[in-house]
Amino acid sequence: MAYVATRGGEQAIEQAERLFRADLAPFDRSRVDEIRRAMPYLIDRIMGEASLYDPDLAALALAQTGGELYEATLLLRAWRTTQPRIAIAQPVLQDELLVQRRISAAFKDIPGGQILGPTLDYAHRILDTAVLEGAAHAPPPVDPAPRPAPQRQPSLADWERTEGLVASPAHSPVAPDDIPDLTRDPLLIPAPRAHRLQALARAETGGVLALGYSAMRGYGSAHPTVNELRLAEAEIRVAHPDGTVFSCGRARVSQAEVAAKGGDQIELGFAATFGWNEVKVIAAATLDLNSDGAAPGSATEEEFYLYHTESVEASGFCIHFKMPHYVTFQSALDAMRGASGEPAGEGADHKIGASL
Amino acid sequence: MNPTDDKAGLGRAETLEVLARCDRGRLAALAEAILPAVESTAPVEVLQNRTGLVMLPMRDTVKLVDFHLGEVLVAEAHLRHGAAQGYGMRSGRDLEAAMGMAVVDLALALGIETDRIAAFLARENEALKAADTLRMRQVEATRVEMETF
Repeated sequence: MAYVATRGGEQAIEQAERLFRADLAPFDRSRVDEIRRAMPYLIDRIMGEASLYDPDLAALALAQTGGELYEATLLLRAWRTTQPRIAIAQPVLQDELLVQRRISAAFKDIPGGQILGPTLDYAHRILDTAVLEGAAHAPPPVDPAPRPAPQRQPSLADWERTEGLVASPAHSPVAPDDIPDLTRDPLLIPAPRAHRLQALARAETGGVLALGYSAMRGYGSAHPTVNELRLAEAEIRVAHPDGTVFSCGRARVSQAEVAAKGGDQIELGFAATFGWNEVKVIAAATLDLNSDGAAPGSATEEEFYLYHTESVEASGFCIHFKMPHYVTFQSALDAMRGASGEPAGEGADHKIGASL
Repeated sequence: MNPTDDKAGLGRAETLEVLARCDRGRLAALAEAILPAVESTAPVEVLQNRTGLVMLPMRDTVKLVDFHLGEVLVAEAHLRHGAAQGYGMRSGRDLEAAMGMAVVDLALALGIETDRIAAFLARENEALKAADTLRMRQVEATRVEMETF
């Protein structure tokens, strides 16, 4: 292994960083607050991929990186390592979620009913260019219903189990400290289901979508139908020193089950993530659904999609290729020259790769 | 159950939840106002006032496996006053608000300023409920009946 120093680079490196930051201009708390207020879905996406829930920090990371999402995620993942883990909360259960959107594409009449919630699913996608001419973008307000929707909705999968439509696995209680944790243990294949779902929860949205989409288009064995999709808030239940369990706040979460016909029962795939990001959880649940029995090396094979959708590792490996590789590349050139009978080494630089 | 909980009509867990979610400015003002009374009987020892992470597990609805969804940033404060203790934890990084929660919790444990705290809890609980109710009325307006043609 050989290394190349960037001679005289210290000043250039400093100026390069200054140039990046100068392009963003100085900012203060007001920019962070505005990002948080105006872009909740972007904040959600970053928090999911960073696996760190705090809208203020996510907005700060976006402000500091100018919206370079991989850098923002890296900042948050790095910052997270400076913090102690104080506790493990009580597990979030589906029927305890505070639901604001809940739909099923598999059954039209579901216990609790279908609630569209905040969505553009049925909206015209028209860019409001009048704003650029000085008009305000001021959509009409919601007309609230006389009575509120129930905050909690029953589980569709539980209803399906009572109907014998899906398998009824037994829950094996696991102590919070014993739940497999990717932040403490390496990902090993085959992955425990807890690792698979944690990895998908923190996976990069675009990567999950690309691989999930390939399965949807026919490169997977099962075509998904959304069994149930939820956008909700989860209570973060912790214990007071006197033993009282209470919610110390709420976190926005997305959760999806996708269904496919499997023998005499419905097979389900599952995914969830921090923030409201339904594309990610539908695609991720599709990967989960298609995992068992997937061909080695296919996009739906667990090892393939888990390793290739890890945001920090994938983006870091990608961008490392732009760092100096002069020695290794020169070695490859030497091998090429050797194969073609040309002289190798410094004397040959004028032919191939002289400017590298 | 703490006696003050009865005055506000809230259980112990509900009391803590209101303190964890209520307006941070009003909480800080209350804590500042009652702190002299708390400190008048014995010194208050700060055991903890820090930010940290709470891992949030979730139960998979397909195979009923618990997994980690990710970590939530929280601010925590822990106080001791003789044999009594006060505790605060709120999502976010607001150390002052967590400390305010711990001061109010300690006052409840000591039975200090209970009427004032009960009134505060009742007001804040109403405000939180009103916000939730309005939001869920907006959500209810999006309920659909799917038809198959």
